[in-house]
Amino acid sequence: MDRFAMNRRQALLGASALAATATLGAPRAFAAGETVKVGVLHSLSGTMAISETTLKDVMLMLIDEQNKKGGVLGQKLEAVVVDPASNWPLFAEKARGLISQDKVAACFGCWTSVSRKSVLPVFKELDNILFYPVQYEGEECERNVFYTGAAPNQQAIPAVDYLMSADGGAVKRWVLAGTDYVYPRTTNKILEAYLKLKGVAAEDIMINYTPFGQSDWQTIVSDIKKFGSAGKKTAVVSTINGDANVPFYKELGNQNIKATDIPVVAFSVGEEELAGMDTKPLVGHLTAWNYFESIDTPENKSFIDRWHAFTKNPKRTTNDPMEAHYIGFNAWVKAVEKAGTFKADPVIDALIGVSVPNLSGGFSTVMPNHHITKPVYIGEIGADGQMNTVWQTPGLVVAQEWSPYLEGSKDLIGDWRKPMSCGNYNVKLGKCGGAA
Amino acid sequence: MPRTAIVAALLALLCAAAAPAHAAPVDDALAHFTADKFPETDRGIDELVASGAPTAPAVLGALGDGRLLFDPGSHRVYYAEASGALDDAATGARADGVAQGALKKVRLNNGIRSKLAAALGGLDLLSPDRAKRLAAADTAFHTPDPKSLAAIDAALGRETDPAAKAALLQARAAVVATSGAGPEADRLGAIATLTARGDGDALNYVNQAAAAPDASPAVKNAASAAASSIRFTLSLWQALQNAWYGLSLGSVLLLAAIGLAITFGVMGVINMAHGEMVMIGAYTTYLLQDLVAAHAPAWSEASLPIAVPAAFLVAGAIGVGIERTVIRFLYGRPLETLLATWGVSLILQQAVRTAFGPDNRPVSAPRFMAGSFHLGGLEITAGRMWIVVFTLAVFAALQVVLRATPFGLRMRAVTQNRRMASAMGISTGRIDALAFGLGSGIAGIAGVALSQIDNVSPNLGQSYIIDSFMVVVFGGVGNLWGTLVAALGLGIADKFLEPFAGAVLAKIAILVFIVLFIQKRPRGLFALKGRAVEA
Amino acid sequence: MQNHRTFGPRGLVFLAVLLAAAALVPASSLLTPAGSALHLSTYAVTLVGKYLCYALLALSLDLVWGYCGILCLGQGAFFALGGYAMGMYLMRQIGARGSYANPDLPDFMVFLNYHSLPWTWWGFSSFPYAVLMALAVPGALALVFGYFAFRSRVTGVYLSIITQALTYALLLAFFRNEMGFGGNNGLTDFKDILGHDVRSDGTRAALFATSCVALALGYVVAAAVTGSKFGQVTVAIRDAESRVRFLGYRVEHYKTLVFTLSAMMAGMAGALYVPQVGIINPGEFAPANSIEAVIWVAVGGRGTLVGAALGAVLVNWGKTYFTGAFPEYWLFLLGGLFVLVTLFLPQGILGLVDRLTARRRPGPPAERPVAPEEQVLPRPVAE
Repeated sequence: MDRFAMNRRQALLGASALAATATLGAPRAFAAGETVKVGVLHSLSGTMAISETTLKDVMLMLIDEQNKKGGVLGQKLEAVVVDPASNWPLFAEKARGLISQDKVAACFGCWTSVSRKSVLPVFKELDNILFYPVQYEGEECERNVFYTGAAPNQQAIPAVDYLMSADGGAVKRWVLAGTDYVYPRTTNKILEAYLKLKGVAAEDIMINYTPFGQSDWQTIVSDIKKFGSAGKKTAVVSTINGDANVPFYKELGNQNIKATDIPVVAFSVGEEELAGMDTKPLVGHLTAWNYFESIDTPENKSFIDRWHAFTKNPKRTTNDPMEAHYIGFNAWVKAVEKAGTFKADPVIDALIGVSVPNLSGGFSTVMPNHHITKPVYIGEIGADGQMNTVWQTPGLVVAQEWSPYLEGSKDLIGDWRKPMSCGNYNVKLGKCGGAA
Repeated sequence: MPRTAIVAALLALLCAAAAPAHAAPVDDALAHFTADKFPETDRGIDELVASGAPTAPAVLGALGDGRLLFDPGSHRVYYAEASGALDDAATGARADGVAQGALKKVRLNNGIRSKLAAALGGLDLLSPDRAKRLAAADTAFHTPDPKSLAAIDAALGRETDPAAKAALLQARAAVVATSGAGPEADRLGAIATLTARGDGDALNYVNQAAAAPDASPAVKNAASAAASSIRFTLSLWQALQNAWYGLSLGSVLLLAAIGLAITFGVMGVINMAHGEMVMIGAYTTYLLQDLVAAHAPAWSEASLPIAVPAAFLVAGAIGVGIERTVIRFLYGRPLETLLATWGVSLILQQAVRTAFGPDNRPVSAPRFMAGSFHLGGLEITAGRMWIVVFTLAVFAALQVVLRATPFGLRMRAVTQNRRMASAMGISTGRIDALAFGLGSGIAGIAGVALSQIDNVSPNLGQSYIIDSFMVVVFGGVGNLWGTLVAALGLGIADKFLEPFAGAVLAKIAILVFIVLFIQKRPRGLFALKGRAVEA
Repeated sequence: MQNHRTFGPRGLVFLAVLLAAAALVPASSLLTPAGSALHLSTYAVTLVGKYLCYALLALSLDLVWGYCGILCLGQGAFFALGGYAMGMYLMRQIGARGSYANPDLPDFMVFLNYHSLPWTWWGFSSFPYAVLMALAVPGALALVFGYFAFRSRVTGVYLSIITQALTYALLLAFFRNEMGFGGNNGLTDFKDILGHDVRSDGTRAALFATSCVALALGYVVAAAVTGSKFGQVTVAIRDAESRVRFLGYRVEHYKTLVFTLSAMMAGMAGALYVPQVGIINPGEFAPANSIEAVIWVAVGGRGTLVGAALGAVLVNWGKTYFTGAFPEYWLFLLGGLFVLVTLFLPQGILGLVDRLTARRRPGPPAERPVAPEEQVLPRPVAE
């Protein structure tokens, strides 16, 4: 009886709440044409489609959910999806089209650094907002971009710290393997400086770069094996780009390198990439992210359920950049409501300091450097293709957009609050505009 | 070192006829597992081993396999049998009536895994199973620890199998060489054993023996002589290893190019959709594997061999379809086939992306293709070896089809002189369609093999198309043997360059080499001779 | 003097349209207020400006392929090299306004720990030097490459594939960060060109007008070459190379010259392209880009010059439209278009136009007879 009464009371409460929203919402019901457009700038074809298509889908879901909640400022959101086809000049063209033709209020998009670099001048010129959801090399802090992915200190450095700890195997010898582009180059530079600072000798660091889409890893994996047989505990820090990972891990498995011998910690391998692999030979290898699908919180569970329902596919995985979009989108909605307008300038100012729930049970805050605070998780690849958290930072990590471990950027900070309003303020010289 | 302590304790545990069970220490030890923290789990292993509980080996085995479960409420620990039944970890008794859903898995990390491997490996030194003894000796060799010397010596005393004995002796040598202790004769013997082994680990241990603070001049001399001898052997093996890598890369190139050698080389169609045929073969493999896993799980090991004819038929049928609807209108206009097939390739890519999604599809390796084995100092991975064998088999089969079957005869006749062949009563249209189907089907077969080493994604074909054209042109258009030689040659050259130049520069060097080579021999490695060339 | 013979009525119309666009489009963009019916948005101006650069690239390709029978699958390499030359000039113009405010080094060099400017970058702060390099580097590469290839009589598909190898090798090389050209990220975030802000509407309009004029000039040069006696020899080479050789012509000299000229035109197209799209990255070297350029020419009509430019604009406009309107299905449409054009319009769009006009008005069918397809392959012999 008691339970029933409770339920009925709850139901009544719910109903009255619904009615209240309905009456409140009625005058603000979406009028025809009263929609605000949001740009979704992710490649749906070409080499990056494999990663970016999911982000397009998650944006459609978030916008759909927001509309069901009554939109933003009483206006309905409309997603404008375009396909920049993994072609960098086309990214710039599409960005210009979204902003100047479709008049979007903000854009969510890009995956590779080069695509972000390509659209950056357009966003600056036309003064719009880009939410960039992927972990990247840092060394950038622009007024028109909000970086919801991890900076190197929110992913790479904690991962190395973990491996150096007793828990992570007290690693003494390091292989920094990456695809030859800017993210691995910069990350490895930062890591190299960091490792040397921690007393690792130069001959205990091996750096290797491979071209995009490298598919023949025989020589490199056997080199790693050789490097790892010098008697000191060895680990591989992998910044190998998406596509090349499958053959890399397959070769590791074939050459019998187990995680207990030489663990590999990867920064670009997520649940989505693992879904394309047979993970049994990979059990125990590590990844570092700010979110895992396996994180056990009510927020995450609800997000995954909604995602499965939205995509009508109970097997679709979730991953870190999706969470970044989730945070970025909610922060944008909150900032628009705070600013009371969709105009870019007030929203950019309003975004700083906005705190929204992330999916791992805490809150992520947009900092004055346009990056967000994040927890860092180290996960172990399991046989089911999921990551099991083996370590996490005790609190949230604030992004260092300019790495203190690099010569050129150690004196720079970004702070877009007035009166500083500067992305590259040199603290040593006390002026905006970088070093020298 | 605690690891050794565990080994010793476990040995004691096994040797003792019937250790009396101490209920309390076992429960204390198991309680650590319920804390769900790695340091606690670590301590739990130590205490469990020290407690001498009869269930300890079973519990540790279960922990390693992720079968050790605990109830967060009652703090009881259970382990699941392979059958799924639960046993109580403290008593080993069947624990019926415990709801599995409420149990949590005891988590692992690499540190715990290593610790377990060492603990269980120590046990395995005396295992009745020869394979387990060999593996345990190998582990002992790779993780030399002075304290395990006693266990190794004990095992040596019992060992009768020659191979296992040799492995144990090497493990012992590793321990002696790295310990920096022991009589001179013992150390010299260890150095000799390691020299005979002659691999990178042996070199590392020999160097450590030389660097030991109390090493006598004789030991130092022997060690440095051993090191240079091992280095020489290693460099020879390295050259062979590179040749093997090259052969394996070359066979992948050949496999990808061989279908193109038919459609492009023999038929003259600049087939830009060739890569997509490879991709379709790979997707067929994926679909078939899923189908087999769903309907006939017993056959899942065989799904890859079954995929070979399936991929041939699927890709071949699509090839015939393309030939009948597009290509046949373009014979005699080879450049236009480039444009049309480029369009076809865009359509096929997007079709697969729409049907299967843009992400990679998992294709697992059957057991016979997993792992690697040693041939002297050569490490050969089983998967790569089968691909080499498979490629050569496909090549041989193709030669047989072209030379020894009526279809091959007609195909050659049509491509050499279409009108004459037609006049002789050959249905040239049918032969064209079948030939294009054959080339596409072989590309599909290549997809089956490539699914084992590369991404199965809509972009799969794109990464092979340029290399395939290079191989066919370098070998000489229209010459299958040229394709074979070109593929293997380029593969081996690439792999010999890679250690010096790095992967990117090696590839650039190969491309520049092809450009220069074509200047020297403008019609490829094996140019066709005669009037036909200038036509 | 003999303009009519050289250009034909179609060419004159083409030139007139280009020159009119060069004058009117900037006027409409700059002088009319936004929202007016005559106003062209900056978006449209940069977009069409980009198409014009592609058109010049297509024109250069048509010159070698349509009139000399050299199917170059590496034309994008010359385009990208020209683009890099301009990109390097634009990078140098950023000066101390980069993130690190280093007056001597571009940003990417600062974070890759360069201490001084590599020699390849010397001189690029001068605009004339950059323009010279945009012409000279592709030209020199084509000259050397062409000289050796044509001297050894590398023809047909062999030539096509080694040009593809050339651009592929350059792609890999430019991806390498050690090359000192910015690796995968390429060169971007440009600020000034000749002292004017590249992002201002005025500069964009000027770049647009320059592209129109460059395309018109390119057309005049190409038409003059193909209409001359020299051009008749190259057409003869296309149709029967051996015979021309037996007649005593040094075929390789003709081919090398046309190839070099075409590479320089492609380089110019790249140099104009970069300030308008705002980025140059090794992706421009991708073999697929060069193949696409061949397709533009085929769609427009090979061996017509005007058709090549038209094809480039049409296909790219289609791409812009489809990727926005049907982001999930545009590849089907584009792929289908290529197949259908090949099957049903073997002479491209201009060929279709010719056929239609010929049907309407009796008389000589096409103004320019379309050459028989050359045999690119040796008659194959199965093993």
